[in-house]
Amino acid sequence: MKPLMAYEQEGHYHHPKVQFPLDSDSYKIVDEIGIGVSAIVYKAECIPLNSTTVAIKSIDLDQFKVDFDNIRRETKIMTLLSHPNILNAHCSFTVGRRLWVVMPFMSGGSLQSIISSSFPDGLSEQCIATVLKETLNALSYLHNQGHLHRDIKAGNILMDSNGSVKLADFGVSASVYESSSGYGSGSSTSSSPMMLTDMTGTPYWMAPEVIHSHTGYSFKADIWSFGITALELAHGRPPLSHLPPSKSLIMKITKRFRFSDYEDSINKGKSKKFSKAFKDMVASCLDQDPSKRPSTDKLLRHPFFKSSKGSDFLVKHVLHGLPRVEERFRVSKILRKNDVDDDDEDDVEGESGSELVKQRRISGWNFNEDGFELDPVFPTESRDDSLVKQVRFGGETIILEKGTSESSLNLNSPEAESSLVCSTTTPPCEEQQTENTFNAETMVGGLMALKKSLDDQRQKVSELINLFGGEVMNKEDQMVQLIEKLRMELETERQKNFELEMELEFLKFQISGASYTDEND
Amino acid sequence: MKGLFKSKPRTPVDIVRQTRDLLIYADRSPDSRESKREEKMAELCKNIRELKSMLYGNSESEPVSEACAQLTQEFFRENTLRLLITCLPKLNLEARKDATQVVANLQRQQVHSRLIASDYLEANLDLMDILIAGYENTDMALHYGAMLRECIRHQTVARYVLESEHMKKFYDYIQLPNFDIAADAAATFKELLTRHKSTVAEFLSKNYDWFFAEYNSKLLESTNYITRRQAIKDAKLLGDILLDRSNSAVMTRYVSSRDNLRILMNLLRLFAANQNKPPDIVSILVANKSKLLRLFADFKTDKADEQFEADKAQVVKEIAALQL
Repeated sequence: MKPLMAYEQEGHYHHPKVQFPLDSDSYKIVDEIGIGVSAIVYKAECIPLNSTTVAIKSIDLDQFKVDFDNIRRETKIMTLLSHPNILNAHCSFTVGRRLWVVMPFMSGGSLQSIISSSFPDGLSEQCIATVLKETLNALSYLHNQGHLHRDIKAGNILMDSNGSVKLADFGVSASVYESSSGYGSGSSTSSSPMMLTDMTGTPYWMAPEVIHSHTGYSFKADIWSFGITALELAHGRPPLSHLPPSKSLIMKITKRFRFSDYEDSINKGKSKKFSKAFKDMVASCLDQDPSKRPSTDKLLRHPFFKSSKGSDFLVKHVLHGLPRVEERFRVSKILRKNDVDDDDEDDVEGESGSELVKQRRISGWNFNEDGFELDPVFPTESRDDSLVKQVRFGGETIILEKGTSESSLNLNSPEAESSLVCSTTTPPCEEQQTENTFNAETMVGGLMALKKSLDDQRQKVSELINLFGGEVMNKEDQMVQLIEKLRMELETERQKNFELEMELEFLKFQISGASYTDEND
Repeated sequence: MKGLFKSKPRTPVDIVRQTRDLLIYADRSPDSRESKREEKMAELCKNIRELKSMLYGNSESEPVSEACAQLTQEFFRENTLRLLITCLPKLNLEARKDATQVVANLQRQQVHSRLIASDYLEANLDLMDILIAGYENTDMALHYGAMLRECIRHQTVARYVLESEHMKKFYDYIQLPNFDIAADAAATFKELLTRHKSTVAEFLSKNYDWFFAEYNSKLLESTNYITRRQAIKDAKLLGDILLDRSNSAVMTRYVSSRDNLRILMNLLRLFAANQNKPPDIVSILVANKSKLLRLFADFKTDKADEQFEADKAQVVKEIAALQL
């Protein structure tokens, strides 16, 4: 068995690479398709190359979160990887204080955006198998190259209009070959090679050993996240995502929280039937013991992936009738604004805060195979000696689009209904489903057209106002910008506050634990 | 086929020899039939991959130090490294990456507690010329750059590069529009100026004039924001070197130049005016607060210069007020 040789047959010989221009003037920005704390993703056209459509990730280098070395690593990895299931960068260059990373435009957007827009209750098993198999090919290639992705989730799996699937966002990926811990000057073998110790990723998808381990983690941490991603695609969101990373979270943790909506929905008989193969595949990825989780190559041979289909299948069953990625982004942006207006703390957190920081102390995870769920185990005693580690978000975790999961459900209720039907994978229902989708589709299409024409008119009016020297629009834009900035600041403050509270909670635990022991003595 | 007849597994020495033979073949102009060549190139790539597995281990086995030593010895016994470097553009992307990792690893392998890579490179210093020129080739820059950074771990190699004409080119490479390549060149530049302190001190004392003139004008005052920001960060490293006792002569020279201090002050003023202060730079300044204040306090101009004194006072005030 030589897993390292597995992909060699593909023979990535260097075909002449198209050189993308390295100046911002050569690109025309068409639309905004994603936004994160320190990066914006645009849809753009590369004018000198026949106006080829591209995606540009514009990273704010002044943002405190940005670590220069992380960015360098990300762009280098994106340049040097070559695999049909991995999103490469065409090029990257600086524009003032921002770094532009030019990438192929994936018109389907991220799987996260797709499910939150049109499949709030998850994709069908065949679709999941197809998407995950492609993802696994990419992961296998990465692992054989000595790279960990460290942020596998539906938000980082992108789809193109032809149904091809690509793994993206290497903002936090690491190479075990370059890991500084492994090599001293000559005497390297003492510290374990092939192991990383810093903590990076997005908490919901994070493997327990990444959160806890003192011995480090390796490739198997990606396998865990892969398992979580499978649950995400099956249920429409990752396990535990109904828990906001805010103050209420601590309350829930200390109270040994109840599973609220997520579990409810499962117990209300809406629960989907999943095949034995699927459950088995996910269970193997979510093994507590990293060494018992399968490698990518072993996972690729799992019977579950026998049901995977070609890209045409995804075009037909996933992309068909899907709003365009820029439209989905606009909708999610509006929803986000509404959330802010509602001033409902948890909602805001659940949405935009979800990309900031979520941290919690969990002593372990139990995969509940019957409920196809992940049950966290919380420390019962404060004797748990593990420190409260800070979840660090190296680089950026966004790409293309991140939508709301909960709120989009409310807005697109017709669609939500139709995809509910879709998820019950029985053939007779599927016909019915296409009808339903059609209605919802025309509805959404009509509304979109109306919205677009309103936007156009608005644009024209503002141009006229500007022409006559008025500054109404500018002011409004400024206000929007200001609000956005303030919102970011608020998030940061809230995050800091949350971290402190966690710290405090932990210290309280320790104190109460200590006094308890004292009394016993 | 291997495995079918349980043929004797190839030794590390066998693999290195075969790799070398295939490199010699690849190096020749492609006069033989295309199909045969493709086959041989594929075999070459496979061999390089095997070398990598031996040196780094794979998912099933850890590297064996005895095998690594044999491999290293055979590799440097003849001119394999030169062949590998010159043939690199002819390999596919995956093989290039493997080769880069092999070269990186070999720099650290000890044979009879000697870094024989260092001995080899000392006799083949011109290889550095090829590697450095790689920054001018978009396809090769990242591979050659990574190799170069590994080679300058050896002090003699670093000295060669520092004292070569190439040193001046780094100022241009760091400002290349291609971010990956510019960042890689910046990383190499930083490595050159920080790894071997005594060599750097020697270099700075000999090349003081042009080096700091270029550093100030091309990096610290660059129109490229990232270059400027990175240069300020690196200046901290340079500062450490200058403040090192072995470099005190250079330091005295640097800070006794009013131009240098002016630039430094202007940067600090710009920085103070920046509302969005990058925290990495703040922390550097805070960490070196007392050092900087001492530096400015000790600094006296020959003639009274009111403007200079006013600027100085302003900067000192700002530094003193900085906190995390």
